[in-house]
Amino acid sequence: MANTPAKPASDDPAVLGEEPPRKGYAAMLSALLVETRSVMPSAGATGLSLVLVIAAMCFLASLALGAALSVSHVTSDWTRDLSGALTIEVKPTNAMTPDEQIRAVLYVLSRSEGVVSAKALGHEDMKALLEPWLGTGNVTDDLPLPHLIDVRIDATSPPDLEALAQAIVAVAPGAQLDTHRQWQDQLMSAARAAEWLAYAVLIVVAATMVAIVTFATRAGLSANREVVEVLHLTGARDRFIAAEVQRHFLHLGFRGGMIGLFLSLTAFLALALQGSNTTMFMVPMSGLRLEYYPALLFVPLAAALVSVLTARITVMRTLHRLL
Amino acid sequence: MRYGMGPEVLRDVSFHLAPGSFHFLTGPSGAGKTSLLKLMFMAQRPSRGLITMFGRDIATLPRAELPDLRRRVGVVFQEFRLLDHLTTYENVALPLRIQGRPEASYRDDVRELLAWVGLGERMQARPPTLSGGEKQRAAIARAVVAQPDLLLADEPTGNVDPEMGKRLLRLFMELNRLGTSILIATHDHALVEEAGATELMLKGGRLTIRG
Ligand SMILES: Nc1ncnc2c1ncn2[C@@H]1O[C@H](COP(=O)(O)OP(=O)(O)O)[C@@H](O)[C@H]1O
Ligand SMILES: [Mg+2]
Repeated sequence: MANTPAKPASDDPAVLGEEPPRKGYAAMLSALLVETRSVMPSAGATGLSLVLVIAAMCFLASLALGAALSVSHVTSDWTRDLSGALTIEVKPTNAMTPDEQIRAVLYVLSRSEGVVSAKALGHEDMKALLEPWLGTGNVTDDLPLPHLIDVRIDATSPPDLEALAQAIVAVAPGAQLDTHRQWQDQLMSAARAAEWLAYAVLIVVAATMVAIVTFATRAGLSANREVVEVLHLTGARDRFIAAEVQRHFLHLGFRGGMIGLFLSLTAFLALALQGSNTTMFMVPMSGLRLEYYPALLFVPLAAALVSVLTARITVMRTLHRLL
Repeated sequence: MRYGMGPEVLRDVSFHLAPGSFHFLTGPSGAGKTSLLKLMFMAQRPSRGLITMFGRDIATLPRAELPDLRRRVGVVFQEFRLLDHLTTYENVALPLRIQGRPEASYRDDVRELLAWVGLGERMQARPPTLSGGEKQRAAIARAVVAQPDLLLADEPTGNVDPEMGKRLLRLFMELNRLGTSILIATHDHALVEEAGATELMLKGGRLTIRG
């Protein structure tokens, strides 16, 4: 309306936040941190409780993610450790002397594929192993001790341990292969289960967030039906309205995410400071390993993204049903 | 047209608004003036009959094309329908913002228009704190700010004193001079006489044209 008879425009301060246009990452960052005024009324009190709910969700998500990462780290450690040693325990029997038993076992081992080396532990070795528990000088020569054979296997092509165990018992009754492996297998599957459980928690948390944001978006739209109608009658497209709504949810999601992240960081740091050797699901919970902290940043970003996309899809679908 | 299962509010209505024309729509309260305008800004669909806007049959218009058509129509609602959470300035600037124009390109125009309708001091006020007359002027400013091809105004002078009524009429005539077709629903006969424009009279669901 440049042609209306003009009165000098009043010179009151900037009417809407007029920021110089920014580019690239700076613009993205400022869009994430500073909420510009929306044409849609913001949810007010609902906004705060929604932030808190999202914060709680993100707290759980961060814990689950941290747990999943820790567990997967530990299991990969274990997998690497498998290249380690096997032990063969030789118990005294009446049928053979210990020396005969050991010789027979060593013979079988020397002919087995995948065995790198085998060495019978002598009395001195046994003494060195036991003295930390029994005290120096208390391991007397007449103490009846089982004999042990330390076996190194090739991790890349390990021997068939079942067959090996049977072969050993066959040549030397009383000799027993202790594979640690069965034990480790069980630990591994427990750990894997824990890892999957953690991912399942992540999925459930994400699904819950989608449900909550969908609900909040619908509630917001129906509470602001009049605004939506006026916008439509003024010529607004659905995507304009969606953009205005989703901007609000971007901030709700991101703020909630940051609060949740902060809470979980506090929890992990507390665990680390406590420095205890507590375990959970057999995983040492002495806090999160340093290299995994950055991964937690993913949580608030994902929260913002999930919240924005959900809000957008909900708005578009809801509006489509209107005239 | 009819509302739900109710009686037919508009029955025998047939007229053509030439581009750049100026018309009044008169009739007693409840005659269906608001209903007719609703049809014209596509807030209601006709239960029967043909309505053509800018050469498009609005009964068969796809939903996705409604916004483009609505942007060519400025509406002053009888009950104003300002957005209470926005300032007066933001309310008036809304159509431009919806069109995706950057604020810097229209700020001065909006302020000038607000000053002209006497709301220069009330730009930052929210509608709930405005008087009836102020709301009405804000609603009018919002309807004309984008210089629509057609302006539909539902009782736009119902809440202002005669002095301001004349001033607003001048605004409409100025807009009309710039090429906007105007249709003003009113029962203010002084206003109709002052303008001396064609009058569409609604009564008992029928429309007669005078002048
Ligand atoms: N939303 C509605 N639902 C049902 N009936 C309505 C509605 N709006 C208006 N009417 C009826 O339609 C008739 C015409 O109303 P309206 O168009 O508002 O007349 P006017 O604007 O000329 O006073 C009235 O009898 C009114 O009761
Ligand atoms: Mg009316």
